[in-house]
Order: sequence, then C-alpha cells, then structure tokens
Amino acid sequence: MNTLIQLIFGLLAALIVGSAVMVVSVRNVIHAALWLIACFFGVGALYLLLEAEFIAVAQVLVYVGAISILILFAIMLTRESEGSRYMVSGWRLVVTAIVCVALFGAVLVPTIFTHTWNVPPPPVATPGSPAPPEVLAGVEDLGRGFVFSYMLQFQVAGVLLTVALIGAIVIAFEERARRRRVLTLAEEHEVRKRQKPARPPVTGERTPSPQAAPMSDGEQG
Amino acid sequence: MYDILDGLINSTFGWGWPGWLISLIGYVLVATLLFAVAPFQMLFFTYYERRAIARMQDRIGPNRVGPEGIFQPIADGVKMFTKEDIVPDAADKWVHLLAPIVVVAPTMFMFAVLPWGPGMVPVDLNTGLLFFFAISSISAVGLMMAGWASNNKFALLGAMRAVAQMVSYEIPAVLSLLAIVMMTGTLSVVSLINAQGGLFISTSDVAGVPDLGLGWLIFTPVGLLAFLCFFIAALAEGERTPFDIPEADSEIVAGYMTEYSGMKFGLFYLAQYILNFLLCAIAAVIFFGGWQGPGVGWLYGMAISPTNPDGSWIFNLLAGMLGVFYFLAKTYFFFFVMIWIRGAYPRLRVDQLMDFGWKFLIPLTLVNVFSAAIWVAVTSWGVADGFGLVEGWSPMLRWGVAFVTTLVVNGAAYVIVARIYNSAQAARNRLDIDELRESLALPR
Repeated sequence: MNTLIQLIFGLLAALIVGSAVMVVSVRNVIHAALWLIACFFGVGALYLLLEAEFIAVAQVLVYVGAISILILFAIMLTRESEGSRYMVSGWRLVVTAIVCVALFGAVLVPTIFTHTWNVPPPPVATPGSPAPPEVLAGVEDLGRGFVFSYMLQFQVAGVLLTVALIGAIVIAFEERARRRRVLTLAEEHEVRKRQKPARPPVTGERTPSPQAAPMSDGEQG
Repeated sequence: MYDILDGLINSTFGWGWPGWLISLIGYVLVATLLFAVAPFQMLFFTYYERRAIARMQDRIGPNRVGPEGIFQPIADGVKMFTKEDIVPDAADKWVHLLAPIVVVAPTMFMFAVLPWGPGMVPVDLNTGLLFFFAISSISAVGLMMAGWASNNKFALLGAMRAVAQMVSYEIPAVLSLLAIVMMTGTLSVVSLINAQGGLFISTSDVAGVPDLGLGWLIFTPVGLLAFLCFFIAALAEGERTPFDIPEADSEIVAGYMTEYSGMKFGLFYLAQYILNFLLCAIAAVIFFGGWQGPGVGWLYGMAISPTNPDGSWIFNLLAGMLGVFYFLAKTYFFFFVMIWIRGAYPRLRVDQLMDFGWKFLIPLTLVNVFSAAIWVAVTSWGVADGFGLVEGWSPMLRWGVAFVTTLVVNGAAYVIVARIYNSAQAARNRLDIDELRESLALPR
C-alpha cells in the first residue's frame, strides 16, 4: 500500500512541478493558463491523497472551476495584448531570476529549518483497533473552526470579497444614457424604413430600373 | 464489492492477494461497468428525446431502424465514427484535440458518487454532493478550450456564452443544495437518501412515521422551492432549450462545437446527454429520494448489509432491482420534463438569462437558506442549542410548526421577489421602448 501511495505521490508531484514549469516557460498566454489549470488539478489530487476530501473538492471547485475560468476570460477579453509575446532577456532576466529565487527561498527556508521531520505516521487502522484515525479536515470541524476560532478572519475575508464584488459592479455599471440597446432585426428594419424619407434623395447616379419599380409597388400594396 | 472479491480470491481460491490489489480490482471493475453504462444512457436519451419531441410536434420521429426505430442511435453512432475528422488550419491543434476530452472526463467522474440503488454506490464520499458540483464545473474549462482553439468567432462566442451561463447558474444550484444540506446535515449522497424514508414526513424529522420510502424532501416547503430553483439551474447547466443560447443554431451555428466533426463532435454530444442524465439523476436523488420508494427499505432490511450481515443475498438482488427501477423511473421522468419544456418554451435572450439568474433565482435561494435554518431550528434544536421554546413540544407538533412557518416565509418570498422582478423587467422594457422611439424620431 505504501509503495502504491508513494508511486501516486511521485506521479502527482511530477505533474504539478512539470505543469508549473510549463506555466512560466510557454510563450502563449492561453497555454500558460491551461497549464496552470493542470497544476491546480494536481494540487487537488494531492489533497485527496492526504485524505483531506473537503479541501480537495474545494480546491477543484474554487481554483479549477472558478479562478481559472476568470483568468481565461480576462486573457480572452484583452486579446490585443496577446501579440506581445516577448521574453525577458539580458540583465532584466538576471534580476527577475534573483527576485523569484529570493521570494521562493523566503517561503521555503524557514519551513525547511523549523519543520520537524520524520514524524511517525499514525497507527494504521485495522478492523480490530479501537480508535479509528481522525478524519482530517472534516466538514463539521472546518465549519466549527470558521464560526468559533477563526471568526474574525472569516468575516474579514467575507467583507473583502463583498468589496471586490461591489467594485466589479461599479466598474461594469453602464449608465443608462450611454447604454445602447441592440436592436432586433425587425426593429432595425423599422428604423431603416422610417429613416428613408428623411434621407436626402439620391437621384441622379442611379435611377430605379424598370424591373424593380413594380416590385416595390407590390410591396407597398 | 471489496468483501465479495476478498471472499472470492482469498477464501475460495486461496491465492492470498494483498488488500490494495483487491480494492484496485474492485474499483476497476466498477469503473468499467459505469463506463459501459454511461454511453448506453446517452444512446437511449437521444432516441427518447427525438421520439418525445416528435410526438409533441405532431410528427413521428425516427421509426425506421429496428422496431420503432430503437436502433437509430446506434446507426448514428456508426455514422459518427466513420466521418472524417477535420481540424481547421488556423486551429490550435493540441488544445483543439484536448477540449472534447476535458469536457467528457468530468461527466464520467460524476458517476463516481451517484447511487443507483440501496448499497449500490461506487464511492460513498463524505463530501459527495460537493464533489459532484465541483467536478461538473471543470467542463467549463473544456468548453472554453474548444471555443478558443477553434479560432472561429462563432465558436468563441458560443464558449463565452456557455461559460458565463454555467458560472452564473452554478450559484443558484449550489445555494439550493445548501438549504438541503442544512436540513439533512450531511454532504454524503448516501446519507441524504437514507434521510428520505417515511411517508410524506421524513423519518429523520418524526421518528414514528411508517417507512414507505416516501419521505422525500420535495414534500417540505424548503425542498419544493429548492427543487424548482435547482431544476431551472440544471436546465441552464445542461444547456437545455430555454437556456440553449450557447449553441443557438439560428444565431451562432453550433456555438463552441462549430469546428468539430466526426467523433470529436460525438464526444461533445455524449458529454451533453450524459450531463443531462446526471443532472436529472441528482435531482431525483436529492429531492425525490433516489432509490427510495415503497418496498425498497423493507426488502433491504432483510438483505446482506453492514448492519445486517446475516441476511439473504436474494433480498439484495430484489432490493437492488426495485431501487434501480425507482431511481431510473424518476430520472427518465425528469428528462421527459426537460423535453417537455423544450417543446413548450422559446429560447431566452442573453440579458434575460442573466437577469433571471441573478435577480430572481439567487434572491429566492438565499431566502430558502434562511427557511432551512428555521426548519432545522424548529425540528431538531433544543435547550442545548439555546432554543428552549420548542423543547417540550411533540415531534409532530414541531414538524407542523416548521412546515407552516417555512411555507409562509417561502411563499411570501416568492410573491415579493416575483413582483419586484416583474416590475423591474417591465420598467426596463418601457425604457427600451422609449429609447427605440427616440431613435426612430431622430434619424442618424
């Protein structure tokens, strides 16, 4: 069982790292976004491997189902900038690399040095054992945590999201005066028909041909 | 499944295989079975829809291939396979190839938590309901990929419409489920069905009710409103007719499927019908008790189950058959309702679709969540939860009070929201007409 889990972990890790590398190395922005989705999905699978079902499902629901769609929408609706596919080069590349490595190190180094490694795994549950292992991140525990211990953080996050929502509405709000209604074909036809008499007569270059005249008569009749 | 295989391999043959291998074989078997069943559901659904819609439009429908045209879908399938696969020159080849796969795979994943009968669920996840909807949201990525990779304006428009629709109708669907989850206190699909035994009153609310498998959630005001909202949202997610604007053939050819031919197009078709099947099935499971029905609980009580290890296998078979019959009957009925709606209503405009989702369904489902909280408080809280008022009441009285209160709240909410929505739409239409008059009066 353990080898199987390690094998699956290895495959998932390869998927995550590989797709993360692809995100930053492919030139096409949409391809980068798609690789990012693969990366999110791999992380969700990793949570599932850790038996944190709820977090795995939430990861898929939020990141794969919503945030990636948002990213794709943003890229596609600003398609003009897609043409500028240039790579950073020269001294800027060096500076960028240093900044990235420094940021990554700032997260990783404290973890490596302060983390206690080689924690013995919890006893494997056998059918006869009295205490089954605790379910990690059960939905009920998570809910209790949100409403009791982490109330403030939860509320702050909620307010933040509401502010973002209101901001989006304010940005997207169209004033009625500037809103232009899209006419249906019938309405457009009506507008054209009414505009015809108002238009200056275009006689001279193009006289109506004798075949067309009876037809228009027939239309009016 | 694990027990049967374990008994067969290790006890009967005495091969002594390790436990993980047996689980793996069990899951692979179940998955193979589901992969075989899913396309047949799709084949049946296409035939069913064509015949039913033909009947509604006073036609006959396919009736040439086989008796009453029953082999028509198979002929269509053969046709799909033999068609040439055309990839546009300007398309992004890889993404174009991957998109149908990304659309089909999640629908197959969703079968993993779907219970077919008593004790017949592939995986009983603790978060099954959430899993179902999380996975269904992945196919939006596939639609986006299809629309973008085709490098065609119609395809991109269709994909944008599809994704906008799916993302906005996911909210009322999940909110109406939230009310149900609050009422039953579980996210597992199996315990959700188990909570729906009884006779019009669920046994989980009033213990003494005779268990005829009819304590469906639809018989509560909260469940009724949630079902209506959920079913409308399901129509939108499955791109059924009043909401089929992503592939409106009279406007944008076939939406995101425009540039697909042959079996790739077939895969989109497959995904769509399987998604419709799954949405009907999950509606049946959540609101109509899934396999619950008269007799199933009684039969399953005598069968081999974790609580009753020395039952008889014949009752397993009988309960399973009856349960699957009830489940499929409900599912097919809901698909019939979908066809019925397709036969009855014209397509919505994009702005009507968004208005209906955001200004009508979401407020209603939010009120419904509130009603669900009232329901839970009245039926199952006590002094320990700080709600001592209902402590001394009998379960029946508590159920009655909860029913009346939520009925009043939901009814009032429906009337108020519908009025506001109607007046808002009317005002908007008036303004539109005014604007039209102005543009008619002032030539450009």
